[in-house]
Amino acid sequence: MPEPEVRPLALKREGDGLLIDWADGIRTHTAWRTLRSQCPCATCDDERKKPANPFRVLSDREVAAGPPTPVRMKAVGAYAYQIEWNDGHSTGIYTLDALRQLGTVLPSDSPDS
Amino acid sequence: MPPPAVPPKTPLPGVKHLIAIASGKGGVGKSTVAANLALALHMYGQRVGLMDADIYGPSVPMMFGLGMIDQTKTPFPVEKFGLKLMSMGFVVAADQAVIWRGPKVAQAVGAMLFQPPWGDLDFLIVDLPPGTGDAQLTLSQSAPLTGAIIVTQPAEVSLIDARKGVKMFEEVRVPILGIIENMSYLGLPDGTRLHPLGQGGGAKLAAEIGVPFLGEIPIDAQVSQCGDAGEPIVRKFPDHPISKSYLMLAQTVVNEMLKQPTNAALPDVEL
Repeated sequence: MPEPEVRPLALKREGDGLLIDWADGIRTHTAWRTLRSQCPCATCDDERKKPANPFRVLSDREVAAGPPTPVRMKAVGAYAYQIEWNDGHSTGIYTLDALRQLGTVLPSDSPDS
Repeated sequence: MPPPAVPPKTPLPGVKHLIAIASGKGGVGKSTVAANLALALHMYGQRVGLMDADIYGPSVPMMFGLGMIDQTKTPFPVEKFGLKLMSMGFVVAADQAVIWRGPKVAQAVGAMLFQPPWGDLDFLIVDLPPGTGDAQLTLSQSAPLTGAIIVTQPAEVSLIDARKGVKMFEEVRVPILGIIENMSYLGLPDGTRLHPLGQGGGAKLAAEIGVPFLGEIPIDAQVSQCGDAGEPIVRKFPDHPISKSYLMLAQTVVNEMLKQPTNAALPDVEL
């Protein structure tokens, strides 16, 4: 069996990222930019495996969108969240494990706590 | 343009426990177990629904003596023997094949689960088709499953696929409530037991993955005869040893449910 699951108790926008309070008392913060760049969908996964192209031209939509920001974020079953981004991308399903791993653990005496 | 409506947090607000009956392998008796377990739970005073998620090969209509249903006369979900029932077989004739690709299957599973007014239920049992495909994924992603029960035969060939089913539910964080071993043995008149499909496979799998072994159901011709005749054995012969096995199983499931949260849904995000 897998390790006992760590569930999120609350998720909210905080500054330029996502703040999650986990059931084990840990609080993490993940920048939207990190979440967008680590999108787990098959298309983004393929893109990450290609050599970086410094001359890639941004699409009109990407330019108009500006920095990555979620438009909507909804639960998927009991195991993940799906994020719809301001650039129109929405196929990434972020498992709870991925959200936990991508987040920076905040100190317990953080002023936000 | 107004933003799309936010879907309700719990799509089945009246359902306390949503339980999937699954197996990796086909032909292990999953639908028979689902139907008899649902009836046994009802005999314990529980309010129970049974959704047949096998789009290609629905079994519920035959096992409950039903066929195609005219929705203008009988609204969905159909009520029979105290259960609320839903099946693809209510809208497609038994001799018609459903020849669909995955996305339509997923759509149909979602529609059968969320559209009928199930009302208040203690248990909604979902009889899944074999495998780890569209129906299973749709259910895991769109509904807050309380857990899954894996049905297997004792034979290793069945266990191989049952492990795949277990793996899938682990990936999507649906707790495995336990393992049921079906067709465990053949009881002879002198009391001895024959094990034509092997012995101890279900218990071995349960120990392997660290979940309860919920019980073993023996082979008996009356089980399939009752199913084919439209009245599962638990209802037709409640004193039959196999019916008693199902009643014990139902009691175990009710007890296990007391330990499970009634709402496995994740919290909303404040954006």
